[in-house]
Amino acid sequence: MDGYFYAILIVGLVSTIMCLVAGLMKKAPNDPTIFSVLAVELVLLVYLVGSIVRVAMGEQIAGEAWEFWGYLATALMIPLGAVYWAILERTRWSNFVLAAVGITVLVMGARMNQIWY
Amino acid sequence: MTGTETNPVNPQHKDTRNTGPGRLLIAVYAVFALSATARAGYQIATKFAEAPLAHSLSAFAAVVYIVATISLAKPGRTWFKVSVAAVLTELVGVLVVGAISLFDPVAFPHDTVWSLFGRGYGFVPLVLPILGLLWLNKRRPS
Repeated sequence: MDGYFYAILIVGLVSTIMCLVAGLMKKAPNDPTIFSVLAVELVLLVYLVGSIVRVAMGEQIAGEAWEFWGYLATALMIPLGAVYWAILERTRWSNFVLAAVGITVLVMGARMNQIWY
Repeated sequence: MTGTETNPVNPQHKDTRNTGPGRLLIAVYAVFALSATARAGYQIATKFAEAPLAHSLSAFAAVVYIVATISLAKPGRTWFKVSVAAVLTELVGVLVVGAISLFDPVAFPHDTVWSLFGRGYGFVPLVLPILGLLWLNKRRPS
């Protein structure tokens, strides 16, 4: 597990917990919960740039390369899709949708790490 | 957002499933549609011959999740029926495949989303159709 994974772990869990708590408090998605999900997207973008740099520098992905990039591309769509879906109807339930992002991306990040090493 | 206050119990929108808790349900279905499709595509592209049955089943599960996601998001009676059919298929699938993979692991050595009642996915595949049916019952078109 590398630094990218731990960044996803921390940001993803914080985002999931924030959104869960907001949902349980019957709040609609607001700036803190939406920005927490966008922070997950930001970490993934850093992961993307970092991974491109590593491959460009000659590092080898141990597993299937296209599987790694497939996971990363899919993970990049999840926070954006969830935010879009959540702001179309701003109820407490949309915060639970946002809460699913951090944990889903975390699982995908773990898998990406397995593929890379 | 001017004057478009969304009310989840607006009678005008009674014949929909894509509101309130339904939005969370659809989001989770969408994640499963995505991951099951990716997994089935990967299995069929790289090792279909190893286990044609299990990998065909993966593809079937992916289609069920896609149909469930789309039909739950759409309004109207017809889509409601499609949802019921898809979610019931999913429930039967996870129960049958789960039981077979548990009692006869030799016949079923390759993983699908539904193997061991979806243990590889935190048993979400087992819980999802039950929540789906409860939600569909609650939002049944009058």
